[in-house]
Amino acid sequence: MLIYFVKRIGLAILIVFVAVFSLFVMLHAIPGDPVSIALGPRATPEIQAAYAAKMHLDKPLFTQLLIFFGNVLQGDLGTDVFSNRSVTTILIEQLPYTITLAVASLGWAALIGIPIGCLSATRRGSWVDRLTGVVSIGTIAIPSFLVSIWAILLFAIYLKLFPVIGAGDEGDIVDQARHLVLPSFAVGLGWVGYLARMVRASMLEVMGENYIRSARAFGLPERKIIYRYALRVAILPTITLMGVGFGGLLSGTVFAEIIFARPGIGKIIYDMVLNRNFPVVQGAVMVTVALYVVVTLISDLMVAYLDPRVRDTL
Amino acid sequence: MTYALSRRRFLQAAAFASTSALPGVLPGVSFAADDRKLTVRFNRDFDSLDPGFYVGGHPNNDINWCCMPSLVHYGPGGWVPSPFVNSVVVRDSIHIDFELKPGLMWSNGFGELTADDVASSYERMTTSEWKNDYVAFDRVDVTGTHTGTIVLNQPFSPFMNTTLASGTGIILSRKALESVGGTYTTEVPATCGPYVYEWTPGQRVVLTRNPEWTGDMPYFDTIEGIVVTEDDSAALAFEAGELDCAQISSEALARYRKDPPAGSALTVAGALQYMWLGMNTEHPKLQDVRVRQAIQRAVDQASIIEAAYAGTAEPSFGVVSPGLVGKRTSAGYSYDPAMAKSLVDEAGASGLNLTLRTLNNQERVLAATIIQANLAEIGINVTVMPLDSGPFWEMGQESKGDTWKDLEIWIMRYGSGPDPYEPFQWFVRDQVGIWNWERWSSDEFEDLFAQGIEEVDPGKRAMIYTRMQEIMEETGAYVWLTHEPEVFIHRDDVATHFAPSGEMQLAYFAGA
Repeated sequence: MLIYFVKRIGLAILIVFVAVFSLFVMLHAIPGDPVSIALGPRATPEIQAAYAAKMHLDKPLFTQLLIFFGNVLQGDLGTDVFSNRSVTTILIEQLPYTITLAVASLGWAALIGIPIGCLSATRRGSWVDRLTGVVSIGTIAIPSFLVSIWAILLFAIYLKLFPVIGAGDEGDIVDQARHLVLPSFAVGLGWVGYLARMVRASMLEVMGENYIRSARAFGLPERKIIYRYALRVAILPTITLMGVGFGGLLSGTVFAEIIFARPGIGKIIYDMVLNRNFPVVQGAVMVTVALYVVVTLISDLMVAYLDPRVRDTL
Repeated sequence: MTYALSRRRFLQAAAFASTSALPGVLPGVSFAADDRKLTVRFNRDFDSLDPGFYVGGHPNNDINWCCMPSLVHYGPGGWVPSPFVNSVVVRDSIHIDFELKPGLMWSNGFGELTADDVASSYERMTTSEWKNDYVAFDRVDVTGTHTGTIVLNQPFSPFMNTTLASGTGIILSRKALESVGGTYTTEVPATCGPYVYEWTPGQRVVLTRNPEWTGDMPYFDTIEGIVVTEDDSAALAFEAGELDCAQISSEALARYRKDPPAGSALTVAGALQYMWLGMNTEHPKLQDVRVRQAIQRAVDQASIIEAAYAGTAEPSFGVVSPGLVGKRTSAGYSYDPAMAKSLVDEAGASGLNLTLRTLNNQERVLAATIIQANLAEIGINVTVMPLDSGPFWEMGQESKGDTWKDLEIWIMRYGSGPDPYEPFQWFVRDQVGIWNWERWSSDEFEDLFAQGIEEVDPGKRAMIYTRMQEIMEETGAYVWLTHEPEVFIHRDDVATHFAPSGEMQLAYFAGA
């Protein structure tokens, strides 16, 4: 397990390095002078020159790359062009909201999707299986923004059950939870279908294994066989999927953060791209990539812990 | 006692942790509600409140006007003295006398608001990023603790409306500014106004009554500005009762005009944007004025307003916006495809291929598509090129590369202040290759521009600016399109107060 752990950490670091390098190259490949894009047409030549020097844009590209990596290693992601606030501070303020939304979305999707998958697998071929199949594919197929709009219309405007915008009053957990309901519903709905289909497929495969037949032969109750022996193994690919899914949700929550006017990493990337505030965009994308890698790493380590066979596969 | 972590316990713990993590990552500190509370939309988060080095506009000015002093602010017909002064008198064309109210205190112990603060604030602006606003400013003669005279270096009639009443006209505490090294961004070193602000980055700004304020009390105890970047989300939030006032899109405006939400009212805050189809007069394909005149007559302005702006934008007949002196009521040309076709044939330009560049947003791409269809009818083939704002704003500037040489036709929109002087400054000779992308100049236009700055008589100014627009139009380089309005929907029991450029003067909002 230790060797696997070390190898996997090394791979994660390499991935982050490649991603940061790619990000740097892509940002510098965008057409247009970054100084005038950042400062706008109003800035005088003196202000442009000062900004270029401050952001090291007057130096050769390779030197900029070295400075960029040096700063990142020191935890310095740069400074917001307009407010002069530290990008690291800005991201620390925003990140909890995105993580909260991603956890809530995936959490309730798992709570609904996994039982539906089990039910579907154990009732294979029945009307229950067919119905859950239709529901699962339906939730995958409906675009999230459409879910958001309809959820707002139904639950906020007509029924007035939940609020539309913001993340709730700070310190008021109940208010914050209420503000989380509609965005997490919109983000998580698609994952209900994914998880249900994944669990169903895994369960059907596991239910055909010899040890399940043996368990049945020994007369163990079906409920115990399903939930104690079959689901325990069938859940492994689902955990991997959730790991990847959680990483994806960190950037995938952007539409919910925009539509529901919630703070978060996705919204800040969107806003800062519109304002051409590249230091913040750069920092936010990098943090998202790093989180994605970390979450995937944790998911892989969990699977390796639960299934020793995986440890030899890296 | 020993504790063995089984895989079952591990899964249970992970499941518990994932649910219990929810409240754990939520930030702290609570917000208390008040009796008279107004919730408004801020269409972006604020970035800096320093009038010398900020982006300006909404919501930076909205906040500054609540928390910082100024000599004047916008009233219904132009500038009016602010609650911070006993008087502001324009003595003659270059002298403005003012007297501050005594006893108005800066926060954080920086003492009383004085005439010296006024002097230092305006002098600082002459070296700031917004120094163009202060091009006519010479100095402030301080004549007492609370009195002084602003002296201009030349007669400049727009000064009160475009400078002193605007966001760059706010006053800073000299001592407070010195204490932070001369500039600041989001943390104002000292405020003086009816409200103080509390900022939650990315979410909201809460304005609460300033307990040290001794002037007239504003109507609302608390004003909460919630950051909602998307127009549609803002409209939905208003309908859900979460916002009391929100700026809305043209699409929402058209919808609400037909079917307004109960208890709501619509207010047009201003229409100081002017949009046109520009043509590069130096480009070989467009050097013949008959081709440009043909394009002027081929574009169906009414269709663009109806299709791209749902009929909500005002038709434009020049660069002077509605409500300002010099606003024209008609153009010197009209939609006439037959005449346009004959001009194209006369110029031998049938089959001409042009590239139309536009910002890549829904309304403008739609407008570009209509223009494409209009010009196809007269034998001009147009390729629409939507561009990101970076390359778009550089394409006509000689200092940003060679794109200006290939620039043919484009859709452009500029914003203006509440004085007709402002839009013309971008089309003078010095601006060719900077913001005058049409690349023409005229001695008469230059003379009139200088006259317009000094002239104070509204009738004469109207004549000057009308003639200047005629000159622009005669170049054939402009097809006037629209003035997009800044429209707000709000509760009908809220009396609003806007600057002509569309920012909210929240301290003057009240119950209706």
